[in-house]
Amino acid sequence: MSWLGAAVDWQSRAVVARHLRVYLRNWYTAFLPPALEPVTMLVAFGLGLGGYVASLSWQGRPIEYMTYVAPGLLAYATFMTAIFQSLFGAFIRMRYQRTWEGQLTTQIELTHVIWGEVLWAGLLATMYAAIIAVVLVGFHAAGFITIEIAWLPLLLPVSFLAACAFGALGLCFTAMLPTIDHMNLPVFLLVLPMGLLSSTYFPLEHPVLIALNLANPLYHLAQTFRGVLIGGPVAVPLAGVAALSALMLVILVPLDLRLLRRRVLGE
Amino acid sequence: MSLLLEARGLVKQLGGRRVVDGVDLLCGEGQIVGLLGPNGAGKTTTLRMLYGFLRPDAGRIHVGGVELGRDLARAKRSIGVCTQDDTFDGDFTVEQNLTIAASYFRPRPTDLGRRVPELLERFELTPFASQKPETLSGGYRRRLMIARALVHSPRLLFLDEPTTGLDPQARMGVWDLVARLRSEGLGLILTTHYMDEAERLSDALTVLARGRVVAQGTAKTVLGDLVGEHVVVLDAAAAPGVAAWLRQRGRGEPAGVLGAWHVPVSGEELADFARAFPSLRYEVRVPTLDDLFLKLSLEP
Repeated sequence: MSWLGAAVDWQSRAVVARHLRVYLRNWYTAFLPPALEPVTMLVAFGLGLGGYVASLSWQGRPIEYMTYVAPGLLAYATFMTAIFQSLFGAFIRMRYQRTWEGQLTTQIELTHVIWGEVLWAGLLATMYAAIIAVVLVGFHAAGFITIEIAWLPLLLPVSFLAACAFGALGLCFTAMLPTIDHMNLPVFLLVLPMGLLSSTYFPLEHPVLIALNLANPLYHLAQTFRGVLIGGPVAVPLAGVAALSALMLVILVPLDLRLLRRRVLGE
Repeated sequence: MSLLLEARGLVKQLGGRRVVDGVDLLCGEGQIVGLLGPNGAGKTTTLRMLYGFLRPDAGRIHVGGVELGRDLARAKRSIGVCTQDDTFDGDFTVEQNLTIAASYFRPRPTDLGRRVPELLERFELTPFASQKPETLSGGYRRRLMIARALVHSPRLLFLDEPTTGLDPQARMGVWDLVARLRSEGLGLILTTHYMDEAERLSDALTVLARGRVVAQGTAKTVLGDLVGEHVVVLDAAAAPGVAAWLRQRGRGEPAGVLGAWHVPVSGEELADFARAFPSLRYEVRVPTLDDLFLKLSLEP
């Protein structure tokens, strides 16, 4: 069995189905947080902070700060949902709930558990993005933001691919960190800086940040969403996010497998 | 009796140390094989290789004629595993634990609508069907673990220390379930630290020490080969000449338990002992697997 082929095996789908079943048990825990988070963020950053932003330029034309933030919010939520799921959710299942050990006594193998976690991070983040997209449609209808709502569904496959890559990144830390307290290290050293410094909430103008972000899939994701929703170049950032996400998956999933084989199986 | 499990020459190295070194193990239909050994003997690693959790570095495992290394998924379809620690899914109820476990097998277990209530009934879990597993007592948690391992109707069941931490009543309940599973034709591989459990339940024993099989067969054969025919129990402080008597026979210091020496001897040695110490007070009993463990743990 190749590690790549395992992504489409029934065992990986069974793991995803298990996580989905747990997630959908309570509609309010499943749907309220992703619906309320963008409202809070748009009100805080858009109406609140946006009131102090005199003008903002995007592709040479002035736009409202709230409109600028909306696609960034979608990219930020994709990133945060996927990486937190594969950091905390996966760690709890591996270490405390021992869900993985139970699964490994069946026909599920470690490669399937890993793909299941990666695909679940992708699916959950995409569901969050879909809910946020619905909220954005509401804000658009109410006149707070101006976006191309017809294109919103097309963003979901891109969101899924990037979220899978972010999930694979989170699993690396899950494999390496000894306790849940150590999660603070990747959260504060990588996740928050990456989440906030990727043109999600403000345009990047500093040359160092621009150079660093060329290798950052979240930056390309935010730029793709912005290009589609408020007009601008799409092909280059889309190629960037697709290539970087694919590269991350090709490198990180085998690495996750190697690290977790040692941690979970003791090999 | 058809053979369900055939393992030959298993070797596994972990952390640069050979923890399993050439282990052979067989188990047939309706047979319970006890896998015994002191801590660090390689029992859990052997068991984990047998049910496909770990890959052996060398050796072959066939389950129901299917080689584990060639078609792991097919071989694992015939295997049920009850791990030493509770690994049920805490996000689901007792009943849902059975259905979610069934979703991890292909071909899918058929007629789950009948199978799940049947298992709940059989393991006396019906009153707790809609409760979370963590609300159950230790004995019922074990029952759930075994029921879950059986949901896909396996032919071979692995039980890793199934009664550890249970009170005597719960232990006997599990023994009863295990005996009934054997009578239904299931093959069972059992590891345990309880010697009475191994002796009562197992049809055959495999004893491991330092990763190697040191004895195989019935409890009586294994004890006869490794321990001896009798065990002399005497107060260590009141027997100054016994150590010298043992040294003359090339034997080291015997196992000591709470100030008493437990000296395994053959029938001939027992007669010699009686002649050498006519006025000494001592007790003679049949050897148990506890003696075997004490002996193995004293060996370098």
